[in-house]
Amino acid sequence: MNNKIDLSVIIPLTEKDRHDDVRELYYNYKEGVVETGLSYEIIFVIDGDFPAVFETLQELNKKGEKIKISKLARWFGESTSLTVGFEQARGDIILTLPAYQQMEGSEIPKLLNALRGYDLVIGCRWPRKDNIINRIQSRAFHRIVTLFTGFNFKDLGSGVRVMRRKVIEEVNIYGDQHRFFPLLASRYGFKVGEVDVKQSEKDVFTRVYSAGIYTRRILDLISVFFLIKFTKKPLRFFGLSGSFILAFGTLLSIVLFVQRVFFAVPLADRPIVLLALFLIVLGIQILAIGLVGEIVIFTHAKELKEYTVDEVLN
Amino acid sequence: MIDTDNNSIPKNIDFSIIVPLFNEEESIGPLYEAIKKGIENVDLKHEIIFVDDGSSDKTFEKAKILANDDKNLRVIKFRKNYGQTPAMAAGIDHALGKILVTMDGDLQNDPRDIPQFIQKINEGFDIVVGWRFKRQDKLITRKIPSIIANWLIGKVTRVPIKDNGCSLKAYRSRIIKNVPLYSEMHRFIPAMTSIAGARVAEIKVRHHARKYGESKYGLSRIFKVLSDLISIKMIVSFSSRPIIAFGIGAVISMIFGLISFILALIYSLNFPGQSLVIFLGCSILLFSLSVFLTVSGLLCDLIYKTGNMKLEKLSSLTAVNGFHEKSRNNIKALQYEQQD
Repeated sequence: MNNKIDLSVIIPLTEKDRHDDVRELYYNYKEGVVETGLSYEIIFVIDGDFPAVFETLQELNKKGEKIKISKLARWFGESTSLTVGFEQARGDIILTLPAYQQMEGSEIPKLLNALRGYDLVIGCRWPRKDNIINRIQSRAFHRIVTLFTGFNFKDLGSGVRVMRRKVIEEVNIYGDQHRFFPLLASRYGFKVGEVDVKQSEKDVFTRVYSAGIYTRRILDLISVFFLIKFTKKPLRFFGLSGSFILAFGTLLSIVLFVQRVFFAVPLADRPIVLLALFLIVLGIQILAIGLVGEIVIFTHAKELKEYTVDEVLN
Repeated sequence: MIDTDNNSIPKNIDFSIIVPLFNEEESIGPLYEAIKKGIENVDLKHEIIFVDDGSSDKTFEKAKILANDDKNLRVIKFRKNYGQTPAMAAGIDHALGKILVTMDGDLQNDPRDIPQFIQKINEGFDIVVGWRFKRQDKLITRKIPSIIANWLIGKVTRVPIKDNGCSLKAYRSRIIKNVPLYSEMHRFIPAMTSIAGARVAEIKVRHHARKYGESKYGLSRIFKVLSDLISIKMIVSFSSRPIIAFGIGAVISMIFGLISFILALIYSLNFPGQSLVIFLGCSILLFSLSVFLTVSGLLCDLIYKTGNMKLEKLSSLTAVNGFHEKSRNNIKALQYEQQD
């Protein structure tokens, strides 16, 4: 088999109740891929135990469709599924597609065209056909992302992304970070763009998640924010917040001390004493964590390269 | 164009000159000429490394043209702007020379000083630092903060270098290649390595006013330098035994916790029936801090032991030269007469 391939399509199947009929999905996507005229491979990553899907795919394989199937032993999450897909992909260009139809397969050529000036292109579902609840959620999410990271993307939630091989070779993701893959890529110095694609009718349904999922998203956002801003200098983040708290606590203590000594205000029945001391303790703890982080970075600094090289001459 | 016969690069390069460039399209040409001119009398094999720190102007294109005609000029292009220290780190990682000279790309340093630096290294010093004794910069925004910063760095690290911010420095390659360089750390290299026993010399260098462009680094660095200073102090003074530093903190807060507890007892004897919440609360807080600090110390110890970057490593490198003393006795600030 020829080892050089233009395009690797990765479709991670991660949620049981959140994928469309695989056969239909496959043919829809394939149509778009064939239209590009590139040599391609299609990789399904099945994240856990979905026997029905697995069988359907094998059936398709028997019919002569060349599908690569990777089945994970248990549920690992979308980031891991994507990483597994990346490891197998041999193409120069990698296209990830969600297992439920967010966009019509016929938009694939348009996406690939958009890659010309970029290293990674997000397929933005635009104009949105969703209802008001989805739109408000999505708007709020992107506002928070912009606030935290300064990046202004329209549709991070879109699983439709096309990227050059060098992107997957350098950017690592884990946990729920697949959502922020474009942010991380851009941090590595890759050019990230967005192109509007037609949203599929099948993607239009109301999304309401459990509180746990929203919490996880916020935590992921914070961790990505931290990764982007302060990876190398934990003390800068912890130091600033820690010293603010410490300074405030100290100031409060001084005020209380002055009151006690010069104005004979008794302290034993004032809870504010506890608050002052608590702030000092908290400040010291945050600073200590910053220092621990600093030592982590120092001892590993030679392994963590801070820069990414684009080109070397001579 | 990438050089096709890569194998022809001679391995026995004597010194490398590393220049980080960020949007220096006007100065790159004159800079290249000046470097060539500055070292023309030095009879040693050299290479020049330009590191393009993600410039948005034509810096890389111009470097490319220069690199086409000069096989001793190597150019490293960053994918985006990372800052001065990472640019220097990249140059150092890629350099092949036995001596590495770093300098600014804005023509404020004078390449005619480079031979002096190489001579100093050959005399047996491990690091040679430039001192811009007639600094041509704005007083308020550049010189005064720099004086304060240098004084502070000297006091805290106990390596009294007059001009830590001067980019013109020379290093023995095997030492600098083992120093972790990140953030704004380049200004602490002498402090870091001298504690491990490296011999540091400081020499006067020329300094010119900026001809092209604006200074890219401003007052916003103060906080960065301060936090770096604290962390470098931490790392240098007790990263090898973090448990002690944290242990001291833990003991102190334990003592205060006990004091508060004893006060609570005395108070309850004197004023029976009064609430003890405040006193006991204070002592609980202090005890918990003590536990927290102990655990952090253990954690640091673990991290340091499993990591592969250790200060001992640096000192074993410097000890190769037969010296292994504390830095304070070692610093010889040798000053050269200006030639013009």
